[in-house]
Amino acid sequence: MKLTFKIWRQESTAVHGRFESYDLEGAGAEFTLLEALDKLNDQLVSTGKEPVAFDSDCREGICGSCGVTVDGQPHGPVANTPSCRQHLRSFPDGSTVVLEPFRSGAFPVVKDLAVDRSGLDRIIEGGGYVSLAAGTAADADAHPVSHDTAEAALDFAACIGCGACVAACPNGSANLFTGAKLMHLSLLPTTAVERGSRADGMVEAMDEEFGPCSVFGECVQVCPAGIPLTAIAGLNKEKLRAVLRGRGK
Amino acid sequence: MSTKTTEIRPGGRSTSARRHPLLSTFWCKIVMAVTGLIFSAFVLVHMFGNLKVYQGAEHFNAYAAWLRAAFEPVLPHEGLLWVLRLVLLASLTGHVVCAAILWRRARLARGPFRRRHLPLRSFTARTMPVTGLVLLFFVVFHVLDLTTGTSPAASDSFAAATTDSSHAYENLIASFQRPEVGVFYALAMIVLALHVAHGIWTAAHDLGATGRRLRATLVAASGVIALVILIGNISIPILVLLGVLQ
Ligand code: HEM
Ligand code: SF4
Ligand code: FES
Repeated sequence: MKLTFKIWRQESTAVHGRFESYDLEGAGAEFTLLEALDKLNDQLVSTGKEPVAFDSDCREGICGSCGVTVDGQPHGPVANTPSCRQHLRSFPDGSTVVLEPFRSGAFPVVKDLAVDRSGLDRIIEGGGYVSLAAGTAADADAHPVSHDTAEAALDFAACIGCGACVAACPNGSANLFTGAKLMHLSLLPTTAVERGSRADGMVEAMDEEFGPCSVFGECVQVCPAGIPLTAIAGLNKEKLRAVLRGRGK
Repeated sequence: MSTKTTEIRPGGRSTSARRHPLLSTFWCKIVMAVTGLIFSAFVLVHMFGNLKVYQGAEHFNAYAAWLRAAFEPVLPHEGLLWVLRLVLLASLTGHVVCAAILWRRARLARGPFRRRHLPLRSFTARTMPVTGLVLLFFVVFHVLDLTTGTSPAASDSFAAATTDSSHAYENLIASFQRPEVGVFYALAMIVLALHVAHGIWTAAHDLGATGRRLRATLVAASGVIALVILIGNISIPILVLLGVLQ
């Protein structure tokens, strides 16, 4: 099939970017979006041009490295699917596809389609980890967790940290990402001693760089991990709990 | 393969500097949620009071007079009304100030590249600042029209309440009989319903409603409450304009 890609080119964070158009022929409908970019880059390199920079790693939807904005949609036209699992069959033959980096104030463009998502790392640094010395492996039933609770914790742990929720949010909010981590850890008894300080630390780090949540619900349309809006209520519940109980409880 | 440059747009730098504001976003949202729910409860109760208009002038005016005399002598004359007024004024101030702060923070956090062409799904969410501003104008107009009787908001025949009588019914009918005012009230009620429907659902998130059944109840309740407020209130200007209520 034949497609025209209108791609955001930007040499570095410090300079302005611009769109450039590229025609790509000979790509199959079964190509993923990233494979199409690989093919385009082969052509660019063979004619001595600078290839288009973009992030990817696993290419099977588990690492969270990839992420471009396709025709205004973070990740691409198929809902809840990362850019590496988006296919050219979504686009009619001969159409023009606009590729931009993830757009958000907290995600400065590093180069072309690659952005700096380290703001999300700083939220995790605020408390999204377990700092207990766990010792040797405990007995399987030492910490009773019901099946449903364990499943719920795993569902919230499914976040791959891609940042699409932030890019989808008209407010540049990271509530879905932060709420997923807070819900995940709050459901497990082993991490309970850090519950309050975790909520305080993560919400504070989040508010420093990201916007407020107005429950647009755009994040859950793009999230490849299917994190539900409940995570956002969970974030506020955890923070309110920390406020009512006093810091660090 | 061909290469053509199309357009040049500025941007791409991080626009969200690290912030430590006096009132954190979390607390702004709590203020929004609590004051918004106070408004929602008030508007719901107020709507049921308004329905007394269907029992005729005598009942309606007696209700208006009772509101002024309620809980005398425990409360001074108009005591209940003044408590309500102060709570609502404080709520309005907090709600509007926090809305402005959050709106600004949201724009800064998003940066120069706005999301565009969003589907109807998030219509009520996206229009919260606009419906809020219309409501702010409506609230001011409504108080000048039917509480203080200040022209040009009030009708020419406005009569203020005295210690033991009220002309609330006549004032209401005279006000809504002005077609542009009646239509404005009706439109404002549609705007109110849109704001309340998304407002209650947002407040549920701000206050941490995570339970599955609780969330299902709240999403339904936000729509039903908005609809009940809409139907109860909008019927009045419509029936006045149609000449049914006189
Ligand atoms: C009768 C009047 C009003 C009612 C019943 C009402 C109700 C509500 C409720 C329940 C919320 C959700 C609060 C939250 O959790 O964030 C809300 C949000 C909001 N209100 Fe109001 N409100 C009223 C008037 C106003 C006015 C006068 C403004 C003026 C600008 C306004 C602007 C907003 C905005 C912008 C939001 C969204 C905040 C956000 O999502 O970040 N509202 N309102
Ligand atoms: S919540 Fe979903 S969209 Fe957001 S970072 Fe995690 S996986 Fe990506
Ligand atoms: S490349 Fe790993 S999720 Fe897309």
